[in-house]
Amino acid sequence: MDKPDSPLSSAERSGDEPFQIEFEGRAMPARHGDTVASALIAAGVQVLSRSLKFHRPRTVFCLSGSCGSCLLRIDGRPNTRSCQVRAEPGLRCARQNAWPSADYDLLSAADAMFPIGMDHHTLFTSPRPLNRLMQKMVHQIGGLGRLPDEDTAAEGAPSAVCKHVDILVIGAGPAGLAAATAAAHKLRGKGRVLLLESQSEVGGSYLCHPELGRAEARAALQRAEDEGVEVLVATAAFGFYGEDRHREQPSEQRGLIGAASEKVLYKLSAERYIYATGGAPQNLLFVDNDRPGVLSGRAVGRLLACHGIRIGERPLVVGNDEFAESLTAALRRSGQTVMTIDGERERLVRALGGTWVEGAEICDDKGLRRTVSCDLIVIAIPPAAASELLVQLGASVELRQPGGFVVKADEHGRTAQQHVFVCGEVSGTMATLAAAAAGARVGKCVAVELVEQRRAKASQPAPG
Amino acid sequence: MSEKCIVCPCEDVTLADVEQAIGLGYLDIDEVKRFTGLGTGPCQGKLCMVVTCQLLQKVQAADPSRRDRQPESQKEPHPFTPRPPVVPVSLYVLAAGKGADRER
Amino acid sequence: MSASGRMPAAAHRLASEAETVIIGGGIMGLGIAYELARRGRSDVHVLEQEYLTSGASGRNGGGVRMQWSTELNIRLMQESMEICRDFASELGINVWLRQGGYLFLIRGQAELAQLERSVALQNRCGVPTRILTPQEALRIVPELNPKSFVAACYNPRDGVVFPWPFLWGYAHAASELGVQIHTYTKVTAIDVLGPNRFVVHTSKGPIRCERVINAAGAWSPAIAKLVGVELPNHPHRHEILATESLKPFLKPLVSVLSSGLYFSQSMRGEIVGGITVPDHDDGQVHLGSRLRFLEDMAADLLSVMPVLSQVRVLRQWAGPYDVSPDGLPILGEHPALPGFYLVCGFVGYGFMMAPVIARYYAELLCGGSRHPVFDRCRLSRFADGTSERELMLIG
Ligand SMILES: Cc1cc2nc3c(=O)[nH]c(=O)nc-3n(C[C@H](O)[C@H](O)[C@H](O)COP(=O)(O)OP(=O)(O)OC[C@H]3O[C@@H](n4cnc5c(N)ncnc54)[C@H](O)[C@@H]3O)c2cc1C
Ligand code: FES
Repeated sequence: MDKPDSPLSSAERSGDEPFQIEFEGRAMPARHGDTVASALIAAGVQVLSRSLKFHRPRTVFCLSGSCGSCLLRIDGRPNTRSCQVRAEPGLRCARQNAWPSADYDLLSAADAMFPIGMDHHTLFTSPRPLNRLMQKMVHQIGGLGRLPDEDTAAEGAPSAVCKHVDILVIGAGPAGLAAATAAAHKLRGKGRVLLLESQSEVGGSYLCHPELGRAEARAALQRAEDEGVEVLVATAAFGFYGEDRHREQPSEQRGLIGAASEKVLYKLSAERYIYATGGAPQNLLFVDNDRPGVLSGRAVGRLLACHGIRIGERPLVVGNDEFAESLTAALRRSGQTVMTIDGERERLVRALGGTWVEGAEICDDKGLRRTVSCDLIVIAIPPAAASELLVQLGASVELRQPGGFVVKADEHGRTAQQHVFVCGEVSGTMATLAAAAAGARVGKCVAVELVEQRRAKASQPAPG
Repeated sequence: MSEKCIVCPCEDVTLADVEQAIGLGYLDIDEVKRFTGLGTGPCQGKLCMVVTCQLLQKVQAADPSRRDRQPESQKEPHPFTPRPPVVPVSLYVLAAGKGADRER
Repeated sequence: MSASGRMPAAAHRLASEAETVIIGGGIMGLGIAYELARRGRSDVHVLEQEYLTSGASGRNGGGVRMQWSTELNIRLMQESMEICRDFASELGINVWLRQGGYLFLIRGQAELAQLERSVALQNRCGVPTRILTPQEALRIVPELNPKSFVAACYNPRDGVVFPWPFLWGYAHAASELGVQIHTYTKVTAIDVLGPNRFVVHTSKGPIRCERVINAAGAWSPAIAKLVGVELPNHPHRHEILATESLKPFLKPLVSVLSSGLYFSQSMRGEIVGGITVPDHDDGQVHLGSRLRFLEDMAADLLSVMPVLSQVRVLRQWAGPYDVSPDGLPILGEHPALPGFYLVCGFVGYGFMMAPVIARYYAELLCGGSRHPVFDRCRLSRFADGTSERELMLIG
């Protein structure tokens, strides 16, 4: 670690005075706006975690809370996504699931012992004594983080909040921000629009976009707040519960969204729902596709755009859409020597290197293979729709390549489910600006419909 | 590091593991999930499910007789049940919900 | 199980005839199929409407215990535990049995008196259960909140398993012996042509047989209706969750009988557990997840083990309990319908019972000895009024 030949080099990092966080007993510099993960990457930490069974070295992949490869013990809490925790002075963090250390983990012998994979079903099933011994050993080395520190149990009381609003928008990326803004604009203060964002800052894929970045995210947030949108950040919608109800909900309605911040449980319901949950970065299938140094395009874009961190000198970018192109251009502008392949005509077959990526083996459509040297592999392919909540509420999805399980909807974002709308990546609109445009359209349409419905109701003669 | 193509990084499930399950006749994402354990770790399938569904789709396309084993409802690729919570939530916050759900 | 073995889910076509049709590819159905085949009776078709592990057998907590209030259950579970211990070497698949014990926490004096009687009975049967003070319990699980209970009972030989591989183990071994297992094959109707003559209609066509075994768990009353039989058992949703994975720290499965709370640590390190939540029992199987369950579960779990506060829930799901009026299963041939067999009503403990029940069931069907469980658990007991309740039920 921190070797002079480390492929990690931090470009000029903007921001104010650095401060320090504690990493396994050592002080590490961080800056305002850093997450724990971004600070550690900038400081040259190559291995953030060890994998569950094989103890393979891992580092961040998605940087957006969806992949789970950045889990650290942070302030006494195990298994915490370090890419989702703001770095703060004095914060303590450490790696888990390694012995004696994450840099030199002897338990990674498991990786060599099971070269193809571990068929845990048939592993030493007989003779009996061997089977019992094996189970004991597996049990003892199993598991990820240690129990939380005892004092984490005593911290302040959490609370529960119930809210019923007119329009609930889930996901504050380009689509969700635009939808909430347009809807609030149409309602003109005559209805509540609530916007939820699971990450600690709004922006979603703006934050990964090298040209738009935080500046655009903040501008979009400002527009939303100017229209009176209520915004809850670091509050993740975690489930649609069709059978539950909460006290603030109209009696004829059932089903609510459960959402949680660090200290508050929310039970939310609305007259209309707009899901703009975006997508989760995806990896490709190739040998050693989990080697540290294989990062999603979004993570690389985000490090560059939001944290001023540039990794390595010679990245290989895989992908062929608009985002891959603008990311490639931005990396070049930052001074890197960038190679690109489209991932289709030319495919990755192997990530080469030691702990960190040092090269890649590529195969073209004629089956010819070549090896290139690189110190970063950027998987800049489109994400997979984050449609989990929608599947929970019964929306229908179809598998698209690319795009994952995309929610079926008409051009106004209307799904087959009553009062449920979608926009952005979750409905298959991939490009950032197109997603924002779709969001604005859907938000407006939802608000207009709601206003009309109310007007119609009000003009009906009272019963009796 | 020994050479592996990882499908599910959370649970260290390899492409060879998935192919073994397919070879045994497990062709549905729900079966493959359970037989290999993919999608049951910290990310709950956000990184491995789609890629596995695409593999299964290819296997079925290559061998239509396998496809016929599945009833209509299973023929189209479908995700496994997205269990809540879709992001991990602490017991501490969940416990707050019991009884105390009043608007403030 | 060997990787080269016959696929349980292979693309067989449904045969037009079989000796025995088993409805339900849960642990009961598959266990009986395997035990029959092992006795040379492999003309068996198992019909499962979805995939293996889709029913209660794929959704349970994997607890295996010998602490019961009825001698019948204690004795059966002593035998079942032995089968579980040898399952991996016999069937070639790991089931990850870990005998870390069951620790029941007792919250009230009346409850304690009742449990003392059960413990005395268990001791007479040779199960080494002990009543513990809170301080003694803390020596086994130091993370417990001693204020949350007044006493505990503990049998160090109880344990937990990983449920799924039992099904694959039985299924693969049974298929190798010639049993046909049809997944995604739903039974839609049954014609009774006469004694021991049935036609079972499925989503993949009809099949004639001499014997139908209703092993459809919580769906068994619905299957029984297809032949005009009303069963007294009914489905009840039971929810359960798993947390993120932690390094091993918790040895026993911990349970509070009065609230129906139970939790244990799986081989992979997750805390897996559930609690009883009231439900509208309308005779249908409901598998939806509720936020209310998470809240009740989290609150009770943290009252027992506060250090888990910052541990996160990874997923929740639900499975159907198959509740019988006296908490004991319903077994054997239907008195009025020769050839129609029942193996249902196992409430929330059918998984651990299955290995031993499957053995005795196969014995019975092959004309061997008739274990007393078949008299105790016959359907007609509800009409006779001869039923004795099992009291140590979780949930
Ligand atoms: C949350 C939970 C926790 C539990 N914890 C434990 C525990 O710790 N220990 C323990 O021992 N037990 C436990 N149990 C109970 C245990 O899971 C069950 O008793 C046991 O699995 C029952 O097995 P089975 O084969 O009878 O039923 P199932 O596994 O439910 O199998 C019945 C099968 O029949 C199929 N079927 C239904 N209708 C049809 C049809 N028309 N055509 C074809 N197939 C059909 C279903 O799809 C299903 O797969 C728990 C149960 C639940 C729900
Ligand atoms: S969850 Fe943090 S890098 Fe993916």
